[in-house]
Amino acid sequence: MKAYLELIILLPLLGAIINALLGGRLLSRRASEWLACAVIWGSFAATLAAAIVYRAPATVEIVSWLSDFDFKASLTLYLDPLSLSLCLMITFVCGLIHLYAVGYMKDDPSSVRFFALLNLFVAAMLMLVLAENLPLLYLGWEGVGFCSYALIGFWHTKPANATAGRKAFIVTRIGDTGLGIAVVWMFELFGTESIPHLNQMGHLLPAGIVTALGLLMLLAAMGKSAQVPLMVWLPDAMAGPTPVSAQIHAATMVTAGVYLLMRMFPLIGVSPTVTAAIAITGALTAFYGATCALVQRDLKRILAYSTISQIGYMMLGVGAGAITAATFHLLVHAFFKALLFLGAGCVITALHHEQDIFRMGGLRRTLPGIFWPFLAGALCLAGVPLTGGFFSKDGILGAVWLKGGALYGGLYVVGLVTAFITAVYTARMVLVVFCGDGIHPLPPGGGGLGRGGLKQLPRIMEWPLIPLAILGLCGGLLNLPEYMGNGLLHLFLLSLGSHEQTLPHSTEILLQGVAAAVAAAGILTAWFRYGGKRRQESLAKEQKPAGGIAAFLLEGWRVDALYDLLLVRPYTRLSTFLWQQLDEGCIDDSLDRMASLFGRCGQWLGGRGQGRVSLSLLGMAAGAALMVFWMVWGMP
Amino acid sequence: MIVPLAHVLILAAILFGLGLVCTLVWRSNVIMLLIGIEIMLNAAMLVFVGGSNHWGMADGQVFALIIMAMTSAEVSLALALVVYLHRRKNTVDVDEFRELQD
Repeated sequence: MKAYLELIILLPLLGAIINALLGGRLLSRRASEWLACAVIWGSFAATLAAAIVYRAPATVEIVSWLSDFDFKASLTLYLDPLSLSLCLMITFVCGLIHLYAVGYMKDDPSSVRFFALLNLFVAAMLMLVLAENLPLLYLGWEGVGFCSYALIGFWHTKPANATAGRKAFIVTRIGDTGLGIAVVWMFELFGTESIPHLNQMGHLLPAGIVTALGLLMLLAAMGKSAQVPLMVWLPDAMAGPTPVSAQIHAATMVTAGVYLLMRMFPLIGVSPTVTAAIAITGALTAFYGATCALVQRDLKRILAYSTISQIGYMMLGVGAGAITAATFHLLVHAFFKALLFLGAGCVITALHHEQDIFRMGGLRRTLPGIFWPFLAGALCLAGVPLTGGFFSKDGILGAVWLKGGALYGGLYVVGLVTAFITAVYTARMVLVVFCGDGIHPLPPGGGGLGRGGLKQLPRIMEWPLIPLAILGLCGGLLNLPEYMGNGLLHLFLLSLGSHEQTLPHSTEILLQGVAAAVAAAGILTAWFRYGGKRRQESLAKEQKPAGGIAAFLLEGWRVDALYDLLLVRPYTRLSTFLWQQLDEGCIDDSLDRMASLFGRCGQWLGGRGQGRVSLSLLGMAAGAALMVFWMVWGMP
Repeated sequence: MIVPLAHVLILAAILFGLGLVCTLVWRSNVIMLLIGIEIMLNAAMLVFVGGSNHWGMADGQVFALIIMAMTSAEVSLALALVVYLHRRKNTVDVDEFRELQD
């Protein structure tokens, strides 16, 4: 077990180090690509082996690290059902993304840097997931933060990309501060940093302190998982290469916040305030993301907002205490969101880096190999019955319904409305991109893409979509509702000690019927708008610059402008003041004046002397000698 | 073998005197001037170490180490200056550099 656990983390790390040190010089391009993929699949194999020999939660200390008096945070890994299921998902999805990236980065000159960072990203995420203590988790947490920064701004020669990377880094840093405070505070309170120990101590503390700790962790999760109000970085993160977007959205970065809350849930779930805050944040974010996705024109931005929305669902599930449902949605979402991003990357590449959905259309016939997997992912996202996404989303909504009360009842309604909007925007995306006849009246100045002008895609970019599509569609088998036989994941995660109640079967079937009806209604709404004959009309209408509420949604509720007004501009003004008035005007100026004063004094004195260095030296020595004489003999 | 403090001080004084004379007298070469300064610094260092030995305290040795570090920095800077001066006037004679007068 120990060897497997070590291999899970060390293999990606080794790949990153070898590629960073030797890639491009000693390793050929093909070798470094091969290495990057091989280490991830090796890590997947190690995870599989660990899953096979897994019997009970295991703690494995690799090396002792950070040990000082009472404080102890060694490199210890902790494998329990939660971390094991996440590791399986991460290594598998990232393995496919790496293969895809080989095709995607075929013509990029700095692919070695790309693969080294991609491997490091996976290693950091695995470290985060497997960490037994909070400092180690924090190391992984910051690791994914750094890697996402470096990869979002991967094409850093374009200033917009570099800015997007910095934005992601700075915004998530706000949340990280919360986690940092929580980590230190918990050590002060409990004298230990071990997560399993901490999780047993929730009831030892006054409720107020648990609430404060929980809110700090929620802040951390808000930054990392792009929840309201710290969600502004995620849509801009689309500046990175598409495999990076897929990896950030599906497997590594944004799920970290949800994972943190799930991991610490036995501790922070003691406080009803915290769970309510998590649930409200989640529901609000789900609604926010879905409404923004409704009007976006950029294919990748639609997916980005849909990720924000889906992560909101997971938070809602955590807030309702349904760890199993949240984990289930996390896993299924990872499959279908990776699938959608990789599919979108194929479409964009095939269309010569065209991202505007209004310039696409009719791709159903020209790119059938992309269309069918993409459709499968979209069905999951929309929550069409019997797909994985349907069951997982329904699990969360069912848990919220079960909580009852005014607050959770309201949140259930929000979740349902969001499910409707999700179905609408998903269907809109599929209909606009893949249906229709392909050639549209384009706005003046834009070049049209004929049907023959598609770029040939490498095979390696197409086939990772297929396993993901199968997993997304059949993901429901992981955790079927109780009336269809019991959920595997549910039984597996039972050992976490969360006592989740289950709905009566009739209620559950009713709720699923409602969810199915909502999804169908959403798809029909989109069909009436974008399908068949109305298509041209609606598209022509949306081609025009948006106004009113559409513009408001297009700009993500204008949150960026608000933050610019509230934070960025006052900060810039203050910095400019400090720079020009205080630093240059006050400090530099007085120093300059002093220097010129001394300079003039020196000039004046120099003009009186001979200017010979040796003479000055002699004078200095004589003066010193006089002083010594006076000190020895002359002092009274 | 214990060297009395007085002997150390005498040696240091001799070294210091030699360095001073070298600095004052050897005008035809800036580098010799620098060497003189180094010898004086070493004399001071010797006093520190001798005192540290005499009173059994480590502070003086710490100072000696600091002086070593400082001296190495100073020498590298001074030699760079010498190279620069030589490039400007093609001489290392101390008395040739009298621009301070103007």
